[in-house]
Amino acid sequence: MSLMGQQPHSEAIGYSFPQSTNAPIKEHSFYPYTDNGGSTLGITGADFAILAGDTRSVAGYNINSRYAPKVFKIGGDDETGDGAHIILSVVGFAADGQALKERLDAVVKMYKYQHGKPMSVRACAQRLSTILYQKRFFPYYVHAILAGLDEEGKGALYSYDPVGSYEREQCRAAGSAASLIMPFLDNQVNFKNQYIPGSGEGHALESKKPEPLPRETVEQIVRDAFTSAVERHIEVGDGLQLMVITEKGIEEIYTPLKKD
Amino acid sequence: MDKLVAQYSRAPHQNEFYSEQEQHDLTESLPPISLKFNLPPVDNSRSWLRAMTDDHSNPSCPIKLAHGTTTLAFRFQGGIIVATDSRATAGNWIASQTVKKVIPVSRLSRGEDKENNAPVPGLLGTMAGGAADCQYWLRYLSQQCTLHEIRHKRRITVAAASKILANLTYAYKGYGLSMGTMLAGMTPQEGPALYYIDSDGTRLPGNLFCVGSGQTFAYGVLDANYRYDLTEEEALELGRRSILAAMHRDAYSGGYINLYHVKEEGWVHHGFNDMNPLFWKTKLEKGEFSNVTSEL
Amino acid sequence: MNHYPEVWGRPRDDVYGSYNPSYLQTSGPKTHTQSPAVTGTSVIAVKFNGGVAIAADNLASYGSLARFTDVKRLRIFGDSAVVGFGGDVSDMQYIDRLLESIDIRENYSAHGNTLNAKNLHTYLSKVFYKRRSEFNPLWNHILVAGFDENKNPFLSSADLLGTTYSAPHLATGFGAHLAIPILRRLFPEETPIEKISKEEAEAALRECLKVLWYRDARSLDQYSVAVITSDGIEVKENQQIEAQSWAFAESIKGYGAQVN
Repeated sequence: MSLMGQQPHSEAIGYSFPQSTNAPIKEHSFYPYTDNGGSTLGITGADFAILAGDTRSVAGYNINSRYAPKVFKIGGDDETGDGAHIILSVVGFAADGQALKERLDAVVKMYKYQHGKPMSVRACAQRLSTILYQKRFFPYYVHAILAGLDEEGKGALYSYDPVGSYEREQCRAAGSAASLIMPFLDNQVNFKNQYIPGSGEGHALESKKPEPLPRETVEQIVRDAFTSAVERHIEVGDGLQLMVITEKGIEEIYTPLKKD
Repeated sequence: MDKLVAQYSRAPHQNEFYSEQEQHDLTESLPPISLKFNLPPVDNSRSWLRAMTDDHSNPSCPIKLAHGTTTLAFRFQGGIIVATDSRATAGNWIASQTVKKVIPVSRLSRGEDKENNAPVPGLLGTMAGGAADCQYWLRYLSQQCTLHEIRHKRRITVAAASKILANLTYAYKGYGLSMGTMLAGMTPQEGPALYYIDSDGTRLPGNLFCVGSGQTFAYGVLDANYRYDLTEEEALELGRRSILAAMHRDAYSGGYINLYHVKEEGWVHHGFNDMNPLFWKTKLEKGEFSNVTSEL
Repeated sequence: MNHYPEVWGRPRDDVYGSYNPSYLQTSGPKTHTQSPAVTGTSVIAVKFNGGVAIAADNLASYGSLARFTDVKRLRIFGDSAVVGFGGDVSDMQYIDRLLESIDIRENYSAHGNTLNAKNLHTYLSKVFYKRRSEFNPLWNHILVAGFDENKNPFLSSADLLGTTYSAPHLATGFGAHLAIPILRRLFPEETPIEKISKEEAEAALRECLKVLWYRDARSLDQYSVAVITSDGIEVKENQQIEAQSWAFAESIKGYGAQVN
């Protein structure tokens, strides 16, 4: 059938309300994914980057575990994570996330042995993109966020879709509560919809320019984002795992969240 | 029979874990050049992939991929204008408002945008459709173009570069890729050259293209005001105005206007500007967009 | 690729065939040979001071038929690890053969079998993940109990998708719904495992199995318990659920023909 076939609109427009897809059920097959829920979030500053995630792991309405970390150190010692200079968070299907993390970890270590220097965050970010794209036709069901410090020592944050499109950003929320957290970050980190008071009237009102925030502010924003998400999303809760990367190294902080 | 005997006379764990080759692939620090992709081991892998990722046929599909949207490019007497929006959507969710949909291709033009305004030699590619598909394959194309420069000691022509990409998308036709990309560049052999390549394997040279879900709105403005002898200023303004129209009317387009000008010496970036102030400026100062009220 | 603006970039029906949602189906008619036939139900386990206790009943069901009533679903590996299997019994036996051959191979080495429960869990979860990636899953949900390399009690789970998680007490299958709440009430998550004695842990498991026997239609009143301590593994097979009280059944009304 050509593009201008008899039924040009057989594939109807996508509405926001559910539509019945009326293809007959032909076969039952093994479904290789599950959603383990949870949310992650990353924000960068002038000389640091923060990556955080809740520690709940769910299967449907069951809570599997209240401490299942989603943020990992990459390229460090297997047990302690010492010597790592990159952090990765994965949310979605936990087994895929684990496989992805181990794969990137192996790549970063091999790079160090082969080149005699640690992999830059920029290189690592692009490599992660190709790793994800390698599974373009059988995707990893994960939303990944990578963080570290760039060549100039500034905080660097890269966010990914499941098949590897990526972008460097100031902040990003991923996972089941992304739609709750991201608008908050737009407002509090990128100052969207914030204007400079008295700068003009009506349309002449000048919008506030975003600038890197100090670490205390960012940490507070992260905590606020998660405590709020816990109130409104069933898959988020139990604990908050926070990793802060600065030139001194990686600091890991765990704080409890509501457990209901 | 031998195969059967071999299968059952070995210890069970021997075929359970990753083979030497698979382990090697997993730890290889460079991506394979042979373009090995894992396909899902089901009878109809294309249909399977579609079931998982087609957010249009099934708004609640499990894996929502980022999609890009309005892009345009046109030739005029002063070179080529390339303009895009910056929105990426995953289903109805706006995944990003800051996507860089113009991607520099080939070694000489790689890297971040330069501080100074000196033109950067090389090609530009645009991104519409699956964001990952465009990013990955333009990166692959970039690699091929660099290799071409090293082998032949001159820059690749736009015709050749676009052919590499079109051959590739044709080879993967039916696998489920989604990309509509334009390649723009100026080489001594061709002058200003513009090609459209999509994931069906189509490759078309042309003067003027709009690609993406907002293409019709952009075409409307662009076709009405386009002349070959536009001045540089007029051409940049037309590119900007066409994207603005698409951002206004197409829900899947929006964010920032990304504007490039390809000249003989290379490409020049003309800003990544928020559409909102521009929209109000266009409305209040020029009286356009009269469908919108400016009352507060 | 579709070129209509409203569906731009999406697959076209004439190229890809109409959208087939049956790949997303997780229930429905099972025609696949890869679905479980003879299955075991819950496995439950608790960490206590100095070890781990794990239990499972002795039943292998064939659908709703209680087919084999003397199947041991706890398997011992080495001298300090126990694997509890839920799900398909043939796959359990396959994994058992796998573990046996590894045990033999390890024992041929100079140091003997030094693999601990954590190593075993890592290995098994990777086997599961690889098989799910081949769409040929091993249809099990397992708990691995024993010690990690620091001689701390170790308890973790892995399922047919390769998903892993750990917690102080875990249960698979129906136990995730019935036993976990009991265990969480008996041993709240804030109580350190040092405060839980071996006897308490074992008694809790027996209590949980009793509740499962009351309400899980695929369970049995004969079961096995294994207690792993630094002294070794103490396995008690052919245990009988005792002191049952069916008094609660009197008051249940509303099933079948009895409506008031």
